[in-house]
Amino acid sequence: MKLGLVVDLDTCVGCHGCATACKQWNTSGTIGPLSDKDPYGRDPNGAWLNRIRTYEVDDSPNSKTVNMPMSCMHCDDAACVTVCPTGASYKRSEDGIVLVDQDKCMGCNLCSWACPYGARELDPDAGTMKKCTLCVDRIYDESLPEDERKPACVLTCPTKSRVFGDFDDPNSEVSQLVRDRAGKQLMPELGYNPVNTYLPPRNKPVVEQYQPSLKATVKGWVNKVISR
Amino acid sequence: MHPAFSVLVFTVMSGAGYGLITLMVIGHLSGLSQLQDSSVLLSAGILSFVMISGGLLSSTLHLANPKNAWRAFSRFKTSWLSREAVFAILLYPFMLIYLGAIWMDMTGAVVSVAGILTAVFAMVTLFCTSMIYASLKTIRQWNSSLTPVNYIALGLMSGAVLLAAVQSVVGGDLAGVLQQLALALVVLGAVCKVIYFFWIGKPAGSTINTATGFTQASVRLLDQGHTSNSFLNDEFGYTVEANKLVRLRLLMLGVAFVVPFLLLLSASSALLVIAAASTIAGLLVERWLFFAEARHVVRLFHGDQRV
Amino acid sequence: MTSQASKIPVASGLPEFEDRANQETKYTTCYMCACRCGIKVTVEDNKVRFIQGNPNHPINKGVLCAKGNSGIMKQYSPAKLSSPLLRKPGTERGAGEFEEISWDQALDIMEKRLSHIRATDPRKLAYFTGRDQMQALTGMWASQFGTYNWAAHGGFCSVNMAAGGLYTMGHAFWEFGDPDWDNTKYFMMWGVAEDHSSNPIKLGLKKLKERGAKFVAVNPVRTGYQAIADEWVAIRPGTDAVLALSMVHVLLKNQLVDDEFLIRYTNSAQLVVHSPGEVGDGLFYRGEGVKNMEGEPQVWDLVKEEFVDANLPDINPALFGEFTAPDGRKLRTAMSIMLDKYLDEQYAPENAAKECGVAAEDIERMALEMAHVAFKETITIDVEWTDWAGRKQDKFIGRPVSMHAMRGISAHSNGFQTCRAIHLLQVLLGTVDCPGGHLAKPPFPKHIPPGIKPAKECAPNTPLKSPPLGFPTCPEDLAIDENGNPLRIDKAYSWDAPVSCHGLMHMVISNAVKGDPYEIDTLMLFMANMAWNSSMNTAQTMDMLTAKKDSGEYKIPFIICSDAFNSEMVAYSDLVLPDTTYLERFDTISMLDRPISEPHAACDSVRIPVVQPDRDVMSWQEVMVEMAGRLGFPAFTKEGGERKYSSYKDFIVNFEKEPGIGFLAGYRGKDGEKSLRGEPNPRQWEAYEENEGFFEMHLEPNQRYMRHANLDYLTLAKEAAWVGSTKQIVIELYSEKIQSFRLAGQGLYDGPMPTEEHHKERLVKYFDPLPTYYMPLEEQRIDRDEYPYHAVNQRPMFMYHSWDSQNAWLRQIMSQNYLFMNRVAAERDGIEDLSWVWVESHNGKIRVQVKLMEGTNEQTVWTWNAIAKRGGAWGLSDDANEATDGFLMNHLISELLPQKGDVNDRVTNSDPVTGQAAWYDLRVKITPAAPGETGSWPSFSALKPQPNAKPSPDMLSYASHKNVNLVRPMSDILTRGEK
Repeated sequence: MKLGLVVDLDTCVGCHGCATACKQWNTSGTIGPLSDKDPYGRDPNGAWLNRIRTYEVDDSPNSKTVNMPMSCMHCDDAACVTVCPTGASYKRSEDGIVLVDQDKCMGCNLCSWACPYGARELDPDAGTMKKCTLCVDRIYDESLPEDERKPACVLTCPTKSRVFGDFDDPNSEVSQLVRDRAGKQLMPELGYNPVNTYLPPRNKPVVEQYQPSLKATVKGWVNKVISR
Repeated sequence: MHPAFSVLVFTVMSGAGYGLITLMVIGHLSGLSQLQDSSVLLSAGILSFVMISGGLLSSTLHLANPKNAWRAFSRFKTSWLSREAVFAILLYPFMLIYLGAIWMDMTGAVVSVAGILTAVFAMVTLFCTSMIYASLKTIRQWNSSLTPVNYIALGLMSGAVLLAAVQSVVGGDLAGVLQQLALALVVLGAVCKVIYFFWIGKPAGSTINTATGFTQASVRLLDQGHTSNSFLNDEFGYTVEANKLVRLRLLMLGVAFVVPFLLLLSASSALLVIAAASTIAGLLVERWLFFAEARHVVRLFHGDQRV
Repeated sequence: MTSQASKIPVASGLPEFEDRANQETKYTTCYMCACRCGIKVTVEDNKVRFIQGNPNHPINKGVLCAKGNSGIMKQYSPAKLSSPLLRKPGTERGAGEFEEISWDQALDIMEKRLSHIRATDPRKLAYFTGRDQMQALTGMWASQFGTYNWAAHGGFCSVNMAAGGLYTMGHAFWEFGDPDWDNTKYFMMWGVAEDHSSNPIKLGLKKLKERGAKFVAVNPVRTGYQAIADEWVAIRPGTDAVLALSMVHVLLKNQLVDDEFLIRYTNSAQLVVHSPGEVGDGLFYRGEGVKNMEGEPQVWDLVKEEFVDANLPDINPALFGEFTAPDGRKLRTAMSIMLDKYLDEQYAPENAAKECGVAAEDIERMALEMAHVAFKETITIDVEWTDWAGRKQDKFIGRPVSMHAMRGISAHSNGFQTCRAIHLLQVLLGTVDCPGGHLAKPPFPKHIPPGIKPAKECAPNTPLKSPPLGFPTCPEDLAIDENGNPLRIDKAYSWDAPVSCHGLMHMVISNAVKGDPYEIDTLMLFMANMAWNSSMNTAQTMDMLTAKKDSGEYKIPFIICSDAFNSEMVAYSDLVLPDTTYLERFDTISMLDRPISEPHAACDSVRIPVVQPDRDVMSWQEVMVEMAGRLGFPAFTKEGGERKYSSYKDFIVNFEKEPGIGFLAGYRGKDGEKSLRGEPNPRQWEAYEENEGFFEMHLEPNQRYMRHANLDYLTLAKEAAWVGSTKQIVIELYSEKIQSFRLAGQGLYDGPMPTEEHHKERLVKYFDPLPTYYMPLEEQRIDRDEYPYHAVNQRPMFMYHSWDSQNAWLRQIMSQNYLFMNRVAAERDGIEDLSWVWVESHNGKIRVQVKLMEGTNEQTVWTWNAIAKRGGAWGLSDDANEATDGFLMNHLISELLPQKGDVNDRVTNSDPVTGQAAWYDLRVKITPAAPGETGSWPSFSALKPQPNAKPSPDMLSYASHKNVNLVRPMSDILTRGEK
């Protein structure tokens, strides 16, 4: 299996729901807690696994605002796994999820240097690297209702802009979306083959305009007999 | 990249130490007369040992969770950092045997084999260190063969200046060969460095357009998702303004290359020590620039237009 | 979308990550904002493990926004108050010197003071509530107490939307209606940043995108919802009425209106008397010898060729025309007046474009697009329904154009008329409560306006005769004395703001301190941060709270504040009552207030505690019920004088507003079998708990649309006490009620009239019975060249007012706000990105940091509201970014109009019709600060944390249980290669 996410840039309104759902789930999850340094002080700085970045494409007055949530792409060719000296960073062969074994990380930061997408953040308290686990502690949990066996970010997204599934299965929803909407990888030229795919904004719908009849304007307003 | 002091010290010190021991072994085993005296060899050898070890210890300072440091040897198969760790450790027994043999006035195969292996592991370790950086596609300023070339050239260069200085101080006068070798390596180092500057100066690599996928129009960051720094800003957001970088480059070229070159011409022990100090100081600036001028592609997601 | 889960095989070898045996799941209602989504909370060891959306809940259907997901950090904020506090005698307000007292002491102090006020002059209690959802209870409490000096925050927030809708179509954009997300084909959103309908809007927009429906966003800023709009209309703030009425012009010019809808469902055919200069001009003609505004309005029947009562069935009214009444009065149909007014060149796209900044061809195109969708892409739903006259109809006709509008329309001094202009546009297209259009949510629609009149009388130990807030329909309904002076402390329902249905909370403090119209004794605030972001002119407001009389007593003698957290207001209070958090309390989201209904389902909900409080707190609801009992309010007291209700829960179950109608509409009747109306069910709370905290009753298919004229629906609505009769709710495009006030201003009204010139002028200018555009009042009074930029602010999606800077997670997203400016405008003015600048208005100046962006109207600057805080409040450090670099735009906004030395200097900076605080009218100039002038200004000294506050930690590592790590085997580490 090749598990990952599709993120729809056509409908993401940048609400940060996915970022906070992730923080919330994972702080008490398998790699938790996700610490926050100076949480109530100057320049708070905490470990998050999903961040929402916002861009403006094109110049005023024609700009389009695009919200881009970014978390680990669970790349096919994950250099973060290659460079890790302790083996803490690894990619599961059964489903392709890239994880950091918290018992083994020594906090050298090299994996974050290897990651183009900023997916990894050092926990300010634990000194270990934290990153998206694709909610490995939710997706296989049979004690959860079937509908809820998905990453917290996918479950919560209010505009349903995140989809989870198996990219190895051509009939899965994620595979279909990538085909139908021409899904793209970010920074493909680096060759990491990120599995998470982004759907570009759709083309605008075309709406016809009512062509008013010349007769109407010439005639002027005339009372129609309409029963109340 | 944020230049962590511990990493600068590590690469410069260890690099110089590896260069020093390698050149000393070559000179010693090829019969250079000024490098047969054991007090010269041991002085240089111990200096090298101290610099290598001090550097390596310094590198562990920048680990956030050092209790797992012992695991760093486990991924030799894929990780240059792991390989560096393995070879760095493998160096020690051979270096200790080699230096021990010199101290005990031994000669013959033991010294030669231990010496050769010391030199080999030293250079391999230095190479592995450089490959940690060179293998990262995310940092285009590092991602080329110029990186290992520079690390090895500068490692050998600093080793040569140190060797000349030690030999001169302990031996009383500077061997001509060593002086010429040091001068040549300083020139080589400077040339490699200047080529590097020209190479990283060409606009190339990923842009905010390729990073975000919007390649048909301008792209600007509106919001990075948090108003105070994250780990990513701290680690990768280091920016020095262009004027300052230019001034630092000139300073570095002067202190790391020009001054040592001039001082080497004198062949005076005192000046050679200063030359060595200047070389190290200059290389600390060079390494600082190596980091500060490196722009990780994640910066594109944080608003940089190019790297 | 959920099919993925079932296809993924179960993986063995994973440890048990969660100890389910130790966890409990409870359902309650979120309160991180006023959207009131249903949440499912997993708790272990009395700690919150996870909050997620309840998939079965009608509002959010399982999704949850950033605020809802961060409830844990609200619950564990170090800013929580932990005991009642009394300001230490001899200390000053603002110094934060409190002693902790017991609840008994606190309630005794409160009872003593309030009973004295109640027995002497109840008006001396001014009770105002902030962003709460408890108005049904607090308003009732104020009524029973006998003070009309009560309101919630609507006058500051969005009364223009409520009033605009309730005086026009019977429901409103705001919380009383929603676009038909499932069927609409063209959706236009005006001035919406983040709204209370937060998650429903998000879910709805997704549906539009999937269907290919067009989404147009009218907003000076392109963030949030606007980011995903198909078309972004970068309007100049305050000119939305120009755009709306220009589109009306295009429709009228091309005769693209729904005549049937206008005739059947609106008052457009009604005849208006045209007698300028005479009493009764502009009122409806009601036949010979009938008093003004009494009797039936008349229309001209085209078939019978005579005047007939307008509201009869089966008549054939003339939509246009001028007629003469038998007594000689000239009459015109309302529609004819509209044609005259809106076909004027002023509203032609070429001229409108100059005022609002939207290109003329775009105005025309959007109008014609909407007309195409409405008239050529009509949808029908084949369901038999009975109309108001008892006639069977066989289908609902849907004109699938919908709209939504909020604060960008509301927070202007022309917001009421602008909101009505948008409603006019909707009505001409026939898109009100039809499939694909804008749908009402039960208990709406109601008759126009709802029949409650605001209270005007006040007597010791006597409840009010009618609620403190209501809907005036003529000058007689105003709360003024015989000299025309305001009765209320906020001057609501006076000539200053006649139709101020939500009060004017923003005027209370300044009026009380000036003693104009009179002094008060006690100000009681619930969840209202008046000493900071909920006021305009913040620094002066803080001064006013500490202003003293010559005697040394404070001008507002006593301030009681209830809040869960150490807000900026706490320090300025005398008695502080700590509230529970939303996860710790029982609460109701009631049909009597603003329920969580969906368009086709009547819903309400509750909150049930999911964690036990760890400190000495009492929910404000309990305090209200307790105090009502102690003070002996009639509705809370039995015949013999004993208390009727032992607790809030008891009150909710057993209180009946009228027989069978209580606060909660669900699970009524002795067995919990009845809905909407039924006897109290002693197990009602348990029933809600068993049903995941909410009640949902779906309307029958024949009750779902055209409810203003649908007998099947109106019958149900009457039974449920949502409406008083099943008469048709006639949509009022022409508002005779507003005209009556204009006549009073002209001296042509047969009843109360203002005596002051400026009141007369305002009534004449702004009380147009038809939607109209006028330049916002601040803009009229300043030099527009001196203050060239509009300054507005919006709420971010992840924070609700000032409520979330104490939230360790949310404040990492934003702990500093910038002033956003269009890059092209900035380059022209020499302003650099991230530089510090001075921003000045007629009222003050602030220093802020600028951020340039592309997606902002060139004449607008804006920021995120309520980010700035005072250090020390909210559990924050003294040097928190919110205190040193964040800023409030509020300092620039005055509660009065710009001072010009004329009589209007005393006039409130509000909409002249509704009193809505006009904080988006602000105009500013921007100049660079000198080098070295950095940091926000003004800055305020840090506040003290509450007594015995737990110190805020330097490192926070929250987890509800120790993590169960997923371990990689050593063998794998040593042997695995590249892949």
